Amino acid sequence: MLRLDGVSLAFGGGDGVHDLTLSVAAGEVVALVGLNGAGKSTLMRLALGMLRPTHGAVHLFGVPLAATPARSWSRVGALIEVPLAYPELTTRENLHVAALLRHADPRCVERSLGEWQLGPVADRRFRRLSLGTRQRVGLAAALQHEPDLVILDEPSNALDPASVILLREQLARRAGAGGAVVVSSHHLDEVARTADRTVLMNRGRLIGELDTAGQDLEREFFARIHDDDRRAGVTAAAR
Amino acid sequence: MNAAVRVEAVKLRRSPVGVVATMALVGGTLALLAGITAAVAGGDAAVIAKAGAAASLDWEGMLLGAGQVTAAGGMLGFGAVLSWTFAREFTDGTITGLFALPVTRGRIALAKLTVYGAWVVAVSGLLTLGLLGLGLALGYGTPDTTVWDAVARQCVLGVLTGITTVPAALVATATRSLLGGVGGAIGLVVLAQVGALAGAGGWMPLAAPALWAASGGTAVTGAQLTLTVAVGAVGALATWWTWSRLTLRR
Repeated sequence: MLRLDGVSLAFGGGDGVHDLTLSVAAGEVVALVGLNGAGKSTLMRLALGMLRPTHGAVHLFGVPLAATPARSWSRVGALIEVPLAYPELTTRENLHVAALLRHADPRCVERSLGEWQLGPVADRRFRRLSLGTRQRVGLAAALQHEPDLVILDEPSNALDPASVILLREQLARRAGAGGAVVVSSHHLDEVARTADRTVLMNRGRLIGELDTAGQDLEREFFARIHDDDRRAGVTAAAR
Repeated sequence: MNAAVRVEAVKLRRSPVGVVATMALVGGTLALLAGITAAVAGGDAAVIAKAGAAASLDWEGMLLGAGQVTAAGGMLGFGAVLSWTFAREFTDGTITGLFALPVTRGRIALAKLTVYGAWVVAVSGLLTLGLLGLGLALGYGTPDTTVWDAVARQCVLGVLTGITTVPAALVATATRSLLGGVGGAIGLVVLAQVGALAGAGGWMPLAAPALWAASGGTAVTGAQLTLTVAVGAVGALATWWTWSRLTLRR
């Protein structure tokens, strides 16, 4: 579904991502975890064509990103940082906008309002919604067309526990239907519940997978990060 | 393309920006002209001196004044809405949601320009109708052929002013800022004024529509007006190209 082959992108000041190689198969949920600035959002932006790599290639559904036909993007659902929702429009109107732009059946909107429990705020303008409800609208907009590839950056941000469960169920349903899911998260416990594979990122590199079956995930996470930093000669002060 | 046009249309229709700008351009212009007319009718020497030929209390004077307001105020009003249309995606952060869609960014940019163009035509038409109502209310009588010609030129002036403002979309995109785009529109107004003062006449594409309307169509040639349209077309093409190649590199 999604493949990154040796993808690198350097920003000014030495930041960026380096030699990223990652494959996400159908039916698989892959979580990206790492500290702030590790490069998780950059990886996702590269996968979605928001950034162009200086080296390497991104393949979407087996096709290089540059050659991907526009219609293929209707099979993708993504939420990066800010929901695709406009403050002057209501929840329902925003979901209609998302459906139109993804060439989706507009009937998915009403189903999505129910699934994400957005019925009570369906006719309320987006600007009047709480932060958590805005995030739910954004997730509904990204997932209502039942995409084959889902890419979500910190999707559980601002969500209450009930909404986190909704999200978990939705992601499991997409994967169960043969979709591929990539999520980034800071919540290791949530990752352990959701993901089939958890990939660690540090200083712009993928440094391996985290065994989420272990007893103390936090300890394991920080040990791996510290070990990678030590090998690279990075001190806590430098970070 | 159809989907993107529908989306952009609902965004402009539901936004206070579109409503306020429409009211300012139509209602504001009419209120200004009514005020000038009242001052001239009351014998206010300062206003009469400043208004010049527009101080004449008839159709010709009113339409001359409307043309002057439209040329400068229209460029700012149209520019503000156009800049908001493009820059808001960056300032609201929604630009990330406009990637990874089957509707390409180039088509979204064209949809924005299409909806903007339709709005400019609607505002120009509304203003023209308002001017007809104002003239009749002021007792200027039934318009004759000459007045109808001037009324038609006023409507076209509104549309041409909207076209000359299109480069503001490129500035708003390049700066990713509403104020940047509005600054671009102000720059266009300044350029038009400098061009007019420098005596470029009809060959200054930003000033040509106003000169054309004010002269009753005699001071500007068809080729010169084509140049005006070309400015808008080049601005639209450059904006489309920029959106087609857009990335979110910091």
